[in-house]
Amino acid sequence: MSAPSAPRHVEAFAHAAGSVAVAVPGGATGWRGALLTIHIASAASYEMEELAEAHCVAGRGIEGDRYFLGTGTYSPKPDTREVTLIEQEALDALARNDPPLQGGPIQLAPVDHRRNLTVRGVPLNHLVGRRFRVGEVILRGGRLNFPCKYLEELLGQPVYLPLYNRSGLNCGIERGGIIRPGDAIALVD
Amino acid sequence: MSARIVMKLTVVEAVATTPEVLRLTLVHPQRPELPAWEPGAHVDLRLPDGRIRQYSLCGDPADRSRYVLAIKREDAGRGGSLWTHANLVAGAVAHVFHPRNNFGLAIGARRHVLIGGGIGVTPLAAMARRLTASGADFTLHLCARSAEQAPLLSELRTLCGDRMRCWFSSDGGRFDPTSLGAPGAGIHAYACGPQRLTDAVQAALTAAGWPAERVHVEHFAPMADETYKPEPFDALIASTGAVIHVPADASLLEVLRQHGFAMPSSCEIGVCGSCECGYRDGTVIHRDVVLPVAKRQDRMMPCVSRARVKVTLAL
Repeated sequence: MSAPSAPRHVEAFAHAAGSVAVAVPGGATGWRGALLTIHIASAASYEMEELAEAHCVAGRGIEGDRYFLGTGTYSPKPDTREVTLIEQEALDALARNDPPLQGGPIQLAPVDHRRNLTVRGVPLNHLVGRRFRVGEVILRGGRLNFPCKYLEELLGQPVYLPLYNRSGLNCGIERGGIIRPGDAIALVD
Repeated sequence: MSARIVMKLTVVEAVATTPEVLRLTLVHPQRPELPAWEPGAHVDLRLPDGRIRQYSLCGDPADRSRYVLAIKREDAGRGGSLWTHANLVAGAVAHVFHPRNNFGLAIGARRHVLIGGGIGVTPLAAMARRLTASGADFTLHLCARSAEQAPLLSELRTLCGDRMRCWFSSDGGRFDPTSLGAPGAGIHAYACGPQRLTDAVQAALTAAGWPAERVHVEHFAPMADETYKPEPFDALIASTGAVIHVPADASLLEVLRQHGFAMPSSCEIGVCGSCECGYRDGTVIHRDVVLPVAKRQDRMMPCVSRARVKVTLAL
């Protein structure tokens, strides 16, 4: 494994999407969600590993993860990828074939989707340009995640189209700390 | 290669099956079951320096709890097998991609003839296990310099009984592919081993009237190593006849753009598939991880893939 070298991230609120959204008021409020699982992988294509707790480092990522180490598939291209999240509700919808895009249900387990945090009750699509808390950590929504063909090829499952518009959220870490499954997630401002 | 997940597997057993061949048993440290595979499949083993080596799975495809590999020490090779023999001891971690198969058993065949030379017997061992379990009709020809140097010999003897024929050159034995004669109904042949063996099998069976689709030969295609060194090449534009030179330090995509081609792209590291482009003749070195094998004969990803000497692009 290559030695950790500081990867280049685009600060979440400096991202083309986040910089616009941060100046726009409104959005989803009053929700309260929870962190279900945490997964990291040490390098591109490596199997995701589940963690009982994770150390988030501001401006960098989750300790041990490929986008913390600069060894990710997309690490050569600077972007906002310190932490990625996806909604359990989206995975549930795939499992019940909703909408029926691929002619059958798709079981996409938290270990397979390659986002770091699987969350429930969190309206990720409304959190671009917003600050929110996961336990003691504060994240900044930088841009919507977008499905990639690479994941489809890696899994051998047709997940590209079903993940459209519910592929998750790419975040920066404003305040680092320890997170654990079960941590509460809520809007900061 | 197409994209595959890499697993960190634990070596639970490493034993010599011949003086030169190490038999490794690998399990997943957390999951009770490994990804399923079919006989003839191989895995890519990733070495610490990024080199990738391919090894056939030679265990029982019905046993999802473990992968078994047999790796020959090639003292004059490029160093991959030497690293493996020195480092993959019991308790070590092996970085193993999900299996792929370019050498599967023919569906609907009535009889199978398996021909293995030396370490080339490994994919055939998995085939023999499946064919034995399903009660299929098969013969395994095992060619080696001697019984002592024949990989997996004792377990294959137990498994195959009189369905295995051994050809040891130390005893004057030599497998003659012309002895297979004309193709019977529903018969398929599978050869894996040194190229002189697979070439002889293909030549003899072609001469005896075997259709090409009933003669299966395992080829290990070169993989995109992280130690890959780009070479310059020329790209011929099919529509105009223009020849564009691609230097070693530039991508084909960059050079096409410099020449006014508005190529779409996104990741520019061979994973997103945006810049896909057609080609006609030439030997393309595919270095992306997204293009399926079936499309590689006439499609390429110019952000990372290159060509040997010259390629004609469908632009």
